[in-house]
Amino acid sequence: MLNKNKKILPFLYLLPTAILLLVFMIVPILYTFYLSFFDWNLIAPTKEFVGLKNYVEVFTDPINQKVILNTLIYILFLIVLNFVIPYFISLIVKFFIKKMQGAYKVLFFIPSLFSLVVGAMLFTWILNPVSGPIAYLMKSLGMTMPNWSNSGILAITVICFITNWKVFGYNFILLLTGLGSIPANIIDAAKIDGIPKWKLIWNVILPMNRGIAIYVLILTIVQGLQYVFTPINVITTGGPYYGSSNIIYQTYLNAFVLYKTGTSSALAIVTFIVFLVLLFIEIRFVEGKAKNYA
Amino acid sequence: MLKKINLWHVLLIMLVLGAVVPILFMISNSFKTLRDSYTTMLNLIPIHPTVNNYLLLNKQINLLGLTWNTFFMATIVTIGKLLTGLLTAYAFRSYQFKGKIIIYLLFVATIFVPFTIVMIPNYLVISKLGLLNNILGVALPQLCDATGIMIFLKTMEKIPNTLIDAAKIDDIPNRKIFFNIVIPILKPSIVSVGAIFFINSWNEYVWPTLILKDKASFTLPLALQNYISSEGGTNFPLAMALSTIMVILPLIIYLIFQKYILNSISNSGLK
Repeated sequence: MLNKNKKILPFLYLLPTAILLLVFMIVPILYTFYLSFFDWNLIAPTKEFVGLKNYVEVFTDPINQKVILNTLIYILFLIVLNFVIPYFISLIVKFFIKKMQGAYKVLFFIPSLFSLVVGAMLFTWILNPVSGPIAYLMKSLGMTMPNWSNSGILAITVICFITNWKVFGYNFILLLTGLGSIPANIIDAAKIDGIPKWKLIWNVILPMNRGIAIYVLILTIVQGLQYVFTPINVITTGGPYYGSSNIIYQTYLNAFVLYKTGTSSALAIVTFIVFLVLLFIEIRFVEGKAKNYA
Repeated sequence: MLKKINLWHVLLIMLVLGAVVPILFMISNSFKTLRDSYTTMLNLIPIHPTVNNYLLLNKQINLLGLTWNTFFMATIVTIGKLLTGLLTAYAFRSYQFKGKIIIYLLFVATIFVPFTIVMIPNYLVISKLGLLNNILGVALPQLCDATGIMIFLKTMEKIPNTLIDAAKIDDIPNRKIFFNIVIPILKPSIVSVGAIFFINSWNEYVWPTLILKDKASFTLPLALQNYISSEGGTNFPLAMALSTIMVILPLIIYLIFQKYILNSISNSGLK
């Protein structure tokens, strides 16, 4: 009896999580996969089987093509703003200054506490082309502020800066922690040998910190594309003419605005497949820990 | 050399100001009249300080109700995620069982599931349960998150095996090991993870957007959204007053638990 109990017990502890994952994640993923082969509108009693049509549309429909291109632009901007710059700053804080490291950590993190809706509000104020402070300063210099929400690429830039405002401190802390776990004697040895700092960083530190860097890089893409959903929905709703939409936002539009669950599901599945590829990279390079449970 | 170091501080301080100054302007403008918010835009101290924006806001929307909705949702999500996370991490820490690595990788994988792939089925389930426009309906999908499990697991691994083994040999029931040994050791990380969960859920936007359509059921971020328009018609002092209300609680939590929170985030990245 006791033995049997011991075997069942761990599964009992896992049960709540398992039920949640099953009901709100695993079954939904399968159901979305199923929906991607049908035309449906969320309400009609019947669904029409259309085979791979929805998947073909993902890649041939001109709007979807535009959205996929936008998604790549988003990824590029997000990598530069939310990965490269925080990484650069974390290297500076770790290796080029001696004081106030703790203070920078505390201060940089503050915007991470706030809603992206607050961020969207602040940036629409700061960058308001008529009455915002930047427009005000530009006017006094004799310049005019472009109406950025009328241009897809400018809107994407602003939206990426909004997520940068929120995510910067978080990513900065993760990367700084990674740098902190590099053994001090390696850094000291290089100092004694008189190796220049940037050379040390390029040849030793960056390769040693690769695990956490790849983790943050992948997080930047996977979470970033989902984070931008909020400012897109609050500020542009994907406009002008899908110019600031990305694959995540288009999936939402198709489902809950256009009521095309088939197209929406196919877009979601394509997104998921891309994310799964990133997951495999993550496991390959970062999740060495999984071995402990083998 | 000294000069060079100073220059880096100049850059870093400028970045800090870029991150924090907008928030200071937000708080300042929420105490300005609409007119002053245009004419004395760059004054950090309002010339004619007023709380009228807050009073007007309270007339236009049910501030107390919205705040309660948001607080209630964040509390349910925090408690739910802490409980499931602690139980799951404990099972991983104390037992050997088949499929452990598969389940572990499944947890890692949940981070890579875009919300778009679960949103239609979850919307249908919540609607079938009759929980549309209900705070419970918006809390349930948020519970499905493995980040807590991962952080707790890392902390539990630091508990020496001998401690738990000794307790097991003494035939102390698992329930007691969990509550009397594991939980007290984990207290700091429970506090910090709980604080992070609460703040994240307090700010949650996606699920409320999908599930809450009735204004009475709104959370604060949804209410704020209605005060923002890209066409420039926004009454910014009003929007900023609502934003200020929204950021107070996360700021207080951060001020109290700042050290724990930053440690937990650091740990979540350590592999």
